[in-house]
Formats: sequence, C-alpha cells, structure tokens
Amino acid sequence: MGFNVEIKQWRAVAAWTWNAGDDVCGICRMPFDGCPPDGKYPGDDSPVVWGVCGHAFHLQCITKWLSAQTEQRCPFCRRPWEFKAAATAPVQEEPVTIQPQPHALQLPR
Amino acid sequence: MLDLNRVQKELKEIERDKASGVTVQVIGSNLQRLTGTVQGPADTPYSGGVFIVDIQLDDQYPFTPPKMRFTTKVWHPNVSSANGAICLDILKDQWSPALTLKTALLSLQALLSSPEPDDPQDAVVAKQYLSDYPSFQRTARQWTDTYAAKGRADHEEKVARLAEMGFDRAASLAALQATGGDEQQALELLLGA
Repeated sequence: MGFNVEIKQWRAVAAWTWNAGDDVCGICRMPFDGCPPDGKYPGDDSPVVWGVCGHAFHLQCITKWLSAQTEQRCPFCRRPWEFKAAATAPVQEEPVTIQPQPHALQLPR
Repeated sequence: MLDLNRVQKELKEIERDKASGVTVQVIGSNLQRLTGTVQGPADTPYSGGVFIVDIQLDDQYPFTPPKMRFTTKVWHPNVSSANGAICLDILKDQWSPALTLKTALLSLQALLSSPEPDDPQDAVVAKQYLSDYPSFQRTARQWTDTYAAKGRADHEEKVARLAEMGFDRAASLAALQATGGDEQQALELLLGA
C-alpha cells in the first residue's frame, strides 16, 4: 500500500556562526555572533576579520586599534598585522542544519 | 566612550577567579575609578603583603592602557618610593587591548618578583638594588611589614564610619585605599564628586 506525501509548503531554518575558533572578540569581549560596541546588528554589519597570524577580531574593533597605532601589530601575538584575504579565510565546514517546521508539513487529505 | 560592557565582563571574570591573587573593586557609581589589590609573591621581600593599586580608566579604554599606581608604599626599583608611579612597558607603549585589568595586575605581581633595575622608576632604589642587594632586601621587607601588611586593619575604623553613612563596606574600603586613607577624599569619591 502506497502512502504518498506531498509537501505543499515548508520553511527552512538555518543557523549561522563565524568560524573564528574562539567565541568572543579579544578586543571588545563580545561574541563574534553578536555586535561590537559600535555595531547595531550582528552578521554583515559586524563582520569578523582575520589577520595572517590567524587571530580574529570584529572589523570595527581591530580597525579602531590599528588606526591609533604607529606600528600595526596583532593585539594577541604582536606580530605585524596584515589582513588575511577574504578568500582564504576559514570556511564554515559544518553542514547547515535545515529544520522544516512541523506545522509547515501538510499531509494530503 | 568607555566600553562599559567589557569592563563589567572583566570585573565578573576577576570575581569568579578567586585563586588569581588579584582583586578589583569599583568605587562609586561609574566604572572609571577602581581599586585593585595584588598579593606580594612568595619568596620575595614582598611576601605576606597586600599592595593596593589605584586604577583609572579613560574614555578610550581598552584602546588605551589603564592608569595604575601603587597607593601602598613599595620599595622597588620600578616603583616610585614617593608616589607609587609604576614603570612597566605594558602600562605604556606595550599595552594591547587583548590585555585586561587582571593580566595587568598579574604583571604587577610578576614585576614585584622580577625587578628591572636597568629601567628604573626610582633611581635611589635601583642603585641600592645593584650595589647593595642585602640592604635593598632589608628595606623592601621593612616597607612591606610596615605599609602592606596592615593596610586593611588601619582603615577599619574609617570604613565603619562610612558604612554608618550608608555606603557599602567594600566600596568604602576601596575608596579609602584609593585615596591612601583620606576619609574626606574617600567620601567625595563615593559620592561621585
């Protein structure tokens, strides 16, 4: 006996996170998934950037620090600071979870 | 604007970590004036002493270093015997926003263990350290016993008076420590004047 289920509608829920290897920005101590003091929204408004040394900070935080320094060094390791090119920044490798909402699944009558 | 969020997180972290040997206490209502304590390291002339540090944060913290000064008198080549000013690179040009109040206080503790007489804050102490080490040790020990060992007990009476006016005991003690025991100045600090 066959039982055909036709999905009429579904809603996807995805979780995102910066794959920064650390939970909080070493400058403002706020989560990478959150906002630095000057940021309003998490995500594209509060991007995370990497140095070639491998340390990550909120873009706003590291920019504020570097702009006040004569020598541009990483706050953590004091190595000369250079922004790591975006393409080589670590990519999120974990699969994105998609959870259909139960109420969105409608069985045929 | 001072990053209040970060300072509050730092204070919680210090509060949680009782084993570190350093404390920080807020004075008054804003987070710009604080009092820290550092325990004298074992096997040094400072052992057994509790050294009080006056801490001031400016609007740019953590992008600028905290201003730290010993209010307890210390006999040490890198601390002014007159006003407690400290010569330590991370409190000046080697500061980094990845450092915290806790790591700075731990650096002060490390400085007590390992003086740098070649980069002195107090030339007289540094000279004695280099030319007559036994005398240096004697004086440093004497100062610890005189000023750092009973710093808390000395303030007891004043704390009681301030507490009677309705101020928190811990905050009163911190304010007294920051002002070197001056009750009037401590009162002004507590009132946020």
